[in-house]
Amino acid sequence: MSVESPERPPAFKSWKGWYWLVLIVLIVQIIVYSLITNSF
Amino acid sequence: MQPIDWIVLFGVLGLIVVYGVVKSKDTMSMEGFLVGNRSMPWWTVCLSIMATQASAVTFLSTPGQAFDDGMRFLQFYFGLPLAMVILCITAVPIYRKLKVFTAYEYLESRFDVKVRSLAAFFFLVLRGLSVGITVFAPSLILSTILGWRIEVTTAAIGSMVMIYTISGGSKAVSLTQKYQLMIIMGGMILAGGIAFYKIPDMSFGETFQYAGNVGKLNLVNFKFDLSDRYNIWSGLLAGLFLFLSYFGADQSQVGRYLAGASITESRLGLIFNGLLKIPMQFIILYIGILVFLFYQFNQPPLIHNRSLWDRAMKTDQAETLRSLESNNNNIFSEKRIESGRLATALRANDEQAAELSRDRIIQLEAESRGLRDRAKAEVFNATGEKVSDNDFVFINFVMTHLPHGVIGLLLAIVFSAAMSSTASELNALTSTTAVDIYKRSIITGADDRHYVLASKWITAGWALFAMAFAIWASNDENLIQRVNIVGSLFYGTLLGMFLTAFYIKYIKSNAVFIAALIGEAIVLSVWLFTDLAFLYYNFIGCAAVVGFALVIQFIMNQASSAGSRV
Repeated sequence: MSVESPERPPAFKSWKGWYWLVLIVLIVQIIVYSLITNSF
Repeated sequence: MQPIDWIVLFGVLGLIVVYGVVKSKDTMSMEGFLVGNRSMPWWTVCLSIMATQASAVTFLSTPGQAFDDGMRFLQFYFGLPLAMVILCITAVPIYRKLKVFTAYEYLESRFDVKVRSLAAFFFLVLRGLSVGITVFAPSLILSTILGWRIEVTTAAIGSMVMIYTISGGSKAVSLTQKYQLMIIMGGMILAGGIAFYKIPDMSFGETFQYAGNVGKLNLVNFKFDLSDRYNIWSGLLAGLFLFLSYFGADQSQVGRYLAGASITESRLGLIFNGLLKIPMQFIILYIGILVFLFYQFNQPPLIHNRSLWDRAMKTDQAETLRSLESNNNNIFSEKRIESGRLATALRANDEQAAELSRDRIIQLEAESRGLRDRAKAEVFNATGEKVSDNDFVFINFVMTHLPHGVIGLLLAIVFSAAMSSTASELNALTSTTAVDIYKRSIITGADDRHYVLASKWITAGWALFAMAFAIWASNDENLIQRVNIVGSLFYGTLLGMFLTAFYIKYIKSNAVFIAALIGEAIVLSVWLFTDLAFLYYNFIGCAAVVGFALVIQFIMNQASSAGSRV
């Protein structure tokens, strides 16, 4: 049987850090893909 | 196919099955069989989630879609990272805290058993029908490519999955999926690399320039248009609701992250899925672009489904098809010259020459597309079969232009992808049938061993059902098209039930139960009587359930307070 590990995630002080990372990566991707689309 | 291909094909598949069985042989409890003892690290959870979502059709059709339509399909996934964040905040902590086996179990603790049973019923209908298609689609393509009967390819996929899902349950599914996805992506990138290697005189950067110039890098479209399936708004809005439903209320995915060793592992699995999914789809689509570029310099077939083409050539339509093929060859000869000119002009930064060549190539592409459409119509007249040629572009390229050994590997990938998504679906159908129906309402007080054995029989039953459905479906094309959208018919209602449960404490079980039935009736009416794109069904179903539940609860409260006053 497993034991729940501590809430604190690796690398960030809280989960908010991870959520912001996902959103920022999404926004960066949309910007990059838009630049690619518009450069041709 | 040469002996080396068969060795690679059976070697890879045999290793996957044996690994799945050996690594999960100690799963003799419900906790072990249905949620892998909740012991998986986040990277296994992440790869398992990604392998579940990516079926064989993803790897066969997506490159074909890019070949035909460019890369705009990528926008479909823009809502996925948002859905991952929302689920990490809401669903994951609740499911983990309650230590549920299925998502629907939570609905009983929040509402009552009838809401749980209704949600489980919706899931069993939608997933029970679509697991047949998950087996059918690759079986059909493999039977066409290998020249085997569809019963054989169906039985091959179904029986291999059965061996390790019955033996090891959820743990076997997660562990095999980890390696299946690695092999799949490795093989796909290898195929893309070989396509690139065979494009003459072009650096990798120049492939982007070329593809962009001929209109294939149409990655983002900001224009709002409800009838356009792929733009940024449909991706972010409709996609968000679709992925919230799929990852939050579909046991095939919930079961994957419930297997995480802790709430941290489950959340990180979903977060990394949110980070990696769009780049992964980009890679798969770009492989399709590389195949497109390869065919700018090498003669493409008029119809990529060669088996269907050969059959059509034995009919009265052969003469017409030969003439269309000859015209297509002439167009290709000119296109190859123009493609060389465009590549040279781009390298020399000669904008004027590049523009001239690009316009001519786009014109020739349009002419070629017209010929292909006519050929498809002629093949349909000759054989009575609709030509969905995009599904065959990539696999025909593999079979015709890749070296032996790699062909075997790529076929193993198609089988692996079919097996990985089928395995998750079987495991989810088993969990829901065993926990939400059998254990909850049929045999309630038996010991753990009894339920594990029952779960194994239930897995076998669903696997046999999927195989029988796939074989039966092969005789009825209309049935397949109807079943393909069955997920969207139920997802919105399911999501509405879960969102109500998570966020609106005011609503009680009777209100949500009635609202779910009304919501489902509305979605079915929209499907039957309107032409609205099915991506929006999720939003409609969800909004209807939440809206009606609020209204019904309000009326019930009014009636009850009026009654108490009397």
